[in-house]
Amino acid sequence: MIEVQHLSKRYGPFTAVDDVSFNVGAGEILGFLGPNGAGKTTTMRIITGYMPATDGAVSVAGYDVFSQPIEAKKRTGYLPETPPLYPDMTVRDYVTFVARIKGVPAREVKSRVEDVMRKTHVADMASRHCGKLSKGYKQRVGLAQALIHNPDVLVLDEPTAGLDPKQIIEARQLITELGGSHTVVLSTHILPEVSQTCHRVVIINKGKVVAVDTPANLTARLRGSETLYLQVHAPGADVAAGLSHVAGVTRVKADLHDNGLAAVEVDSEQGRDVRRELAAAVVHQGWGLLELRPMRMSLEDIFLSLTTEDAGDAVEPAAPAPATEAADA
Amino acid sequence: MRNIVTIARKELQGYFASPIAYVVLGFFALLYGYFFYTLLWYFDRQSMQVAPGSGMTMNVNQMLIGPVFMNVSVIVLFIMPMITMRTYAEEKRSGTIELLLTSPLTDWQIILGKFLGALLLYTVMLSVTLIHVGTLFYFGDPEWKPVATGYLGLLLMGGCFISAGLLISSLTKNQIVAGMVTFAVFLLLWVINWIGQSLGPTGQAIVTHLSITDHLDDFARGIIDTKHLVYYASFIVFGLFLTAKSVDSERWRG
Repeated sequence: MIEVQHLSKRYGPFTAVDDVSFNVGAGEILGFLGPNGAGKTTTMRIITGYMPATDGAVSVAGYDVFSQPIEAKKRTGYLPETPPLYPDMTVRDYVTFVARIKGVPAREVKSRVEDVMRKTHVADMASRHCGKLSKGYKQRVGLAQALIHNPDVLVLDEPTAGLDPKQIIEARQLITELGGSHTVVLSTHILPEVSQTCHRVVIINKGKVVAVDTPANLTARLRGSETLYLQVHAPGADVAAGLSHVAGVTRVKADLHDNGLAAVEVDSEQGRDVRRELAAAVVHQGWGLLELRPMRMSLEDIFLSLTTEDAGDAVEPAAPAPATEAADA
Repeated sequence: MRNIVTIARKELQGYFASPIAYVVLGFFALLYGYFFYTLLWYFDRQSMQVAPGSGMTMNVNQMLIGPVFMNVSVIVLFIMPMITMRTYAEEKRSGTIELLLTSPLTDWQIILGKFLGALLLYTVMLSVTLIHVGTLFYFGDPEWKPVATGYLGLLLMGGCFISAGLLISSLTKNQIVAGMVTFAVFLLLWVINWIGQSLGPTGQAIVTHLSITDHLDDFARGIIDTKHLVYYASFIVFGLFLTAKSVDSERWRG
């Protein structure tokens, strides 16, 4: 539905977006993740036809956004970082105005406006001026504006920014509902949002794509080896020695505390589940097994390791693989 | 066309939803009323001094309505920056320009819509003067043709101001800057011919031709000269053309 090919945007000597390529399939929800200033907003602005790219091509629903902007824009709904509201207009007038300029047929305007205001829960504020709304309502009116012409593609720049926790959950639900019938690209720096709502994630840093994958795959891929965490009650014993001979274990790191508790991290061979053997070994030694759980790299860790220079080396082997895959796709 | 009308309607709605339209209309009515009253008073006094049977006639068109129109042009010069300064600057500052530029509209539809919106407010403003001119028709016997051409001239002149104002507003995010520059440019366009004589005959001809209010003279006298029509039309088109270029270049610069 959206094809981004070798997209670059330069402002003089500054490169905001550098050779970014990715595809978004119909009905997919794609998360756009990156620190501030990574080029998320610029990329979205190019996709929506707000600004032209320096290099590369973007097509939306089969229309090139540069050479056929009107057709592409008819099929795109866009919620910018700050909702583009006219403070002096009432919510209903505003949504009606947007419906008209987005090319909703004249006889459908009224019903579409009411429909979309109900869907985004702003109907109760319909005759309030946009400038007098709370941040949460402004954001939702912004969403209503993006949905009004029932576009194939929705581009949402930080759709949950400024909402309270309850509204965030509602907004996520709405976005999840929209996926399937719409193709959604959303940007965020709130990581749980991505794992909850998105089918795929593009991580971007300094204008470059560093990873494209599903949230689950990203988590799995970036784990170099399987790591387990154990808490063992073994007063005076050498836990590390006791566990290192278990078949499949490659490394044991134990921190023994004074109260006889030991926090143990066990690395095992890739793809090998050693939890049963470990538990048996602990019991066999006569220790108490208080906790045993796999240590997963959270999306936060992945994000940090991919976007921070120092930690970047740690995941170097894993990172280029998804990136090249994305370019081929 | 539908898009142009939608934008124009939104612009007009925007003027009336904020205090701008009321301030503009109110103060225009006040200033215009004042000028009209003083001019009427002079006209009245002069007509008293004309001795009956002296053969001298008082022409309402030439001695009252014409000067009134010239006065209107000066008030418009002061008020118009307030109408045009927000057109683009405000959209850029509040980010609503992102909505317009990502909607299936061409730049020209947006520009013409904004132009039309401002022109409609200006027309509403000019219609205030109909009350006074109407009074003259009720009590006196002026010719209607010079009055009609006078209004045509005022509309065309307003179009020039709006077109220049749009251009200046499209160059900045700051309304105050837009308003101030617009006012300075209008003022310069008004007084540009004052330097005339020092420039020699050719220079004088050029600056006189450039002066935006000079072209109004003939209209106020009931003359429709193609020279003036061409001047106003080309001024408007050129201003809008530069606005389109300015919006487009803004897009590339981000």
